[in-house]
Amino acid sequence: MRAQEFRALFVRYKILALLLALAVIWIFFHIATDGAFISSRNLSNLLRQTSITGMLACGMVFVIIAGEIDLSVGSLLGLLGGIAAVMTVNLQWGSWPTVVAVLLLGLVAGLLNGFIVTRLRVPSFIVGLGGMLAFRGVLQGITHGATIAPVPADMVYLAQGYVNQTLSSWLAAIIFFALVVMTVARRRRRAALSIPQSAAWRDALKLVAIGAVMAGFLVMLNRYNGVPLPVMILLALLAIFTYVGTQTVFGRHIYAVGGNMEASRLSGIDVAGVKMVVFALMGLMCAFAGIINTARLAAGSPSAGTNGELDAIAACFIGGASMRGGAGTVHGALIGALVMASLDNGMSMMDVDNYWQLIVKGSILVIAVWVDVLSGTKRD
Amino acid sequence: MSDYLFDMRGIRKSFGGVRALDGIDLQVRPGECLGLCGENGAGKSTLMKVLSGVYPYGTWEGEIHWQGKPLHARSVRDSEQAGIVIIHQELMLVPELSVVENLFLGNELTLPGRRMDYEAMYARAHALLKELQLDDVNLSLPVKAFGGGHQQLFEIAKALAKDARLLIFDEPTSSLSSKEIEVLLGIIERLKQRGIACIYISHKLDEVARICDTVSVIRDGKHVATKPMSELDEDSIIAMMVGRRLETLYPRVEHEIGEVVFEARHVTCYDVSDPSRQRVKDVSFSLRRGEILGIAGLVGAGRTELVSAIFGAYPGRSQVELYMDGKPLRIRSPRDAIRVGMGLVSEDRKRYGIVPMLGVDQNITLATLQHYASAGHVDSGREWSVAEAQIASMHIKASSASLPIANLSGGNQQKALFSRMLLTRPRILILDEPTRGVDVGAKVDIYRLIFELAKEGISIILVSSELPEILGTSDRVLVMGEGRLCADLPNDGLTQEQVLAAAIPQAKRA
Repeated sequence: MRAQEFRALFVRYKILALLLALAVIWIFFHIATDGAFISSRNLSNLLRQTSITGMLACGMVFVIIAGEIDLSVGSLLGLLGGIAAVMTVNLQWGSWPTVVAVLLLGLVAGLLNGFIVTRLRVPSFIVGLGGMLAFRGVLQGITHGATIAPVPADMVYLAQGYVNQTLSSWLAAIIFFALVVMTVARRRRRAALSIPQSAAWRDALKLVAIGAVMAGFLVMLNRYNGVPLPVMILLALLAIFTYVGTQTVFGRHIYAVGGNMEASRLSGIDVAGVKMVVFALMGLMCAFAGIINTARLAAGSPSAGTNGELDAIAACFIGGASMRGGAGTVHGALIGALVMASLDNGMSMMDVDNYWQLIVKGSILVIAVWVDVLSGTKRD
Repeated sequence: MSDYLFDMRGIRKSFGGVRALDGIDLQVRPGECLGLCGENGAGKSTLMKVLSGVYPYGTWEGEIHWQGKPLHARSVRDSEQAGIVIIHQELMLVPELSVVENLFLGNELTLPGRRMDYEAMYARAHALLKELQLDDVNLSLPVKAFGGGHQQLFEIAKALAKDARLLIFDEPTSSLSSKEIEVLLGIIERLKQRGIACIYISHKLDEVARICDTVSVIRDGKHVATKPMSELDEDSIIAMMVGRRLETLYPRVEHEIGEVVFEARHVTCYDVSDPSRQRVKDVSFSLRRGEILGIAGLVGAGRTELVSAIFGAYPGRSQVELYMDGKPLRIRSPRDAIRVGMGLVSEDRKRYGIVPMLGVDQNITLATLQHYASAGHVDSGREWSVAEAQIASMHIKASSASLPIANLSGGNQQKALFSRMLLTRPRILILDEPTRGVDVGAKVDIYRLIFELAKEGISIILVSSELPEILGTSDRVLVMGEGRLCADLPNDGLTQEQVLAAAIPQAKRA
């Protein structure tokens, strides 16, 4: 009976199981690296590594919830990052105009993918596969197969900079305060409408846990250089995407379209329109990730972003998104991205051969989805 | 009583506290055809799943004896090996594979090394089809090249290839023309003479009366009676199925019928995969305010195609001329249709209705979510109270409003889908088979709702395969056959015979 309750808890709060798995991975690496893994310096690195996959995963999770897939994002990330390098280095554009232009280009590329999927009705798997090759080809064409460097310092700062420590402490305090206010307000509103809600202690516990994690990270990161700028950008994206996914009409429509496309169409939802926007957001996220990637390397590389799509997709599935669409969360996908990045980071620290890293990452992906299948199976 | 081929006693099965089957007994002798009757939701399909091994031994209570010995089937394979084969309503053929490959699918005759023994299979298939008087079939053509009637016969041949002793037919004639039905019933007669037993599940009581020797009726999961057909007629079977007088099923409410509000002219739909074939041929009709318009016809008559074309949801090419209040309408998608005040509740809840993983509340608000939002932000409190009000007023039984809708029974899902469309405040509501797979209680609720809506002045188009339903609810009946409009009959004392007479000559001409 107790074991069953335990299982029910994990089925209901999949995120708990995921966090537990992450904790196990971290503790393992911490021991295996003689205490170097959970250090201020390495956590800073780890989160910075997560940010690029995380940005892709933010966009990808919507694509997957909508019942589609986008395999072109790794190449598109590389291409957009490469364009940013070409613009700043070869064409001498300023960093800010470049950023704006690249973001717009990302949006256009995403719209193009969406157009081919929804209007020309080519399956997204094929469109992605085509884009994967074509975008990479364009990248190699414009860079002539060579690395483009050096990228200006103010762009490099986007990936390598840190948020001022006092500022980030204040931000954390404000966010935590906002969360408390929002929770209380929601409980009040629900009570007024007599909507059933979870026990007060549960919400309180959740807030305490979130507060503790935030404080812990802030202290750890401030002991090194502060919160890395790309991590801050990722957190902002997390907030925006979570809001869009859970609180807006558009967000609900993504889940509905992925859950049952025909039913959504008959309910008057503009299915093609929803998918177009989802692909456009994916393109925009590729632009974010591409700029950060170029800034991190301080150069545009013709091989940038290789296999990026696989990490992003794996992150979504580890984070509990459904293969058939209709289910998934942004925070789940980001924790999935953190799992993938932790494996990379930890194994590199342990000097594990690259081939072993691939084997381990692949196995973890399959095992994670298997566990998901096990816990989701209904038996009667 | 050891002369029974098959004997099941005291079968009970529950789903999460709800008793679906409550002590069912069934017996079949060799060469006997048993008719199994019951309303939708009475438990027929659950019973058949117990009997065919879909629900393995141990997940239900009771005893099954097969040829005098206890049968403990743990899978469909086990029961098929024993000789019990079910022929499903939806055919289980692989369209791209050839006839012969389908006949032996999963049961292939092989040469050493698991190679396909095509010669042996062709020879056996010829013999089997000959037995079914199907001599002119090219066995190497893919199954999809044949019509529904032929495919049904292939299913029977497939069962015979497995040496079936007991064949279970689940609504076998629902998609057959009357000529094909004749052929099928003739074949069942011959199978009976060969000592093969059948269980025949059908809503079409005239077929049951013709072919069955014994009839068992179940209602709400309980066994009502088993009697020889010679002691029964169609009316007494209906009385046992429903358990009350039929009139109470249709709680008619007087409603006023006003002026013509909607007109469809020259609706023509072309087949999706074969654009030269017309599925709906030049159909025109009008609809008055507060009128309930029934559309009757056999499956494949083009009724669903007609209403989905009007709603902008037909997947293939179609020509539609629509007028509302005398003004022409342009409807290119369901979105347009909903905007001008039309609503559609589809025939296939699973495919076109529910979003299984979303909650009951979110399913209810799906078509109108933007009404509870400002600047794209959903006011979840308002959404919740709207959904909760619908759940209460429609008597939707759900333990919680946020429960995923997939966990609800068919009738409650259907009510939620009605709510979804009613929230769009339609002037015209199209209901395509609204009571399919819904239990009797929910059916009456749905009929009552239809009458109330008509009284409020909403015009209703009701597509149904159940003639009593059409006759019990409609003010006027359109009869369709082979894509054409065959008749437009006012319903005052209209009988099933009159409607069928209008539908069938058309079907026979084909």
